Amino acid sequence: MTFFRFDIGARSRTAGRLMGRVRRELLRAVTEEKQAGLTQQELARRLQSGRSNVNRQLSGEAEITLRSLADLAWALDREITFELRRPDQAAGQNIAPQTSTIGHKPIRIIAPKSPEE
Amino acid sequence: MFFLKTMIVQPMPTITDLVNNGAIVKIDVELAPHDQPLRLLYGTPQFIAWLQEILDGAGPARLLGQPSPAEQIDDLFHSFLSGEHLVFTRQFRAVRAEENAVWELKTPDVRIFGWFMAKDCFVAVFGNWTDIIKDHDLYRGYRIAIRRLRRELDIDATLCVRGVAPDDVLSV
Repeated sequence: MTFFRFDIGARSRTAGRLMGRVRRELLRAVTEEKQAGLTQQELARRLQSGRSNVNRQLSGEAEITLRSLADLAWALDREITFELRRPDQAAGQNIAPQTSTIGHKPIRIIAPKSPEE
Repeated sequence: MFFLKTMIVQPMPTITDLVNNGAIVKIDVELAPHDQPLRLLYGTPQFIAWLQEILDGAGPARLLGQPSPAEQIDDLFHSFLSGEHLVFTRQFRAVRAEENAVWELKTPDVRIFGWFMAKDCFVAVFGNWTDIIKDHDLYRGYRIAIRRLRRELDIDATLCVRGVAPDDVLSV
């Protein structure tokens, strides 16, 4: 075997990536604010919550409800953008297995030759 | 009388050699239509077998995160492969600050250990549950085993990133 696809199905993929993305966005905002001098202690104080509780939310060990997400965004001085849209359908879009440009083997021409050639 | 000694120099293995001889297997996940694969991910056959166990429903005794372990791994692989910014120490870190370091990729319930063959090119060797690793302090054992594997594959000097700063191993 030279190739393994970790495929969990579209439904699980959608759920896992949404929750992961929310957590990453929060971590990114916290990291930015930390560089500007905000401590986790101060963040917890703003939220009137325990530091360990905030830490567990950021580490993914505690559930983040919509309310706590909004509270964290407020405490970090961030706006939330949220959108549901239909999947992209654009000409030339990436379909990973067919169009990967980082394969370790030489480029293979897969387009059929035109009759003129 | 002269004896001519010829020394046969074995070329250092390349990534292609490692894939072709079965030492590592390329891993991917479904990418969204607008995603581009910007990084490379490989795993040893042992790691692939562990991934298969996850797909078959294996999980820790106590789940820490809200998503399932498989969902956490899919999200981690997706963000890695699509070139997203990973948060240093929260999502990846060097196990120990040393030359040819062993690195850890992290989710709430899962820890994955391996090394970077090149910038943006990770080989996963061991995966395990976070609480088991912490309870049994498996960091040192995994680190030593991964260093031994690299020596056995004869790639310690060629296919291993030396730095331990985040931008030594990830470009985005």
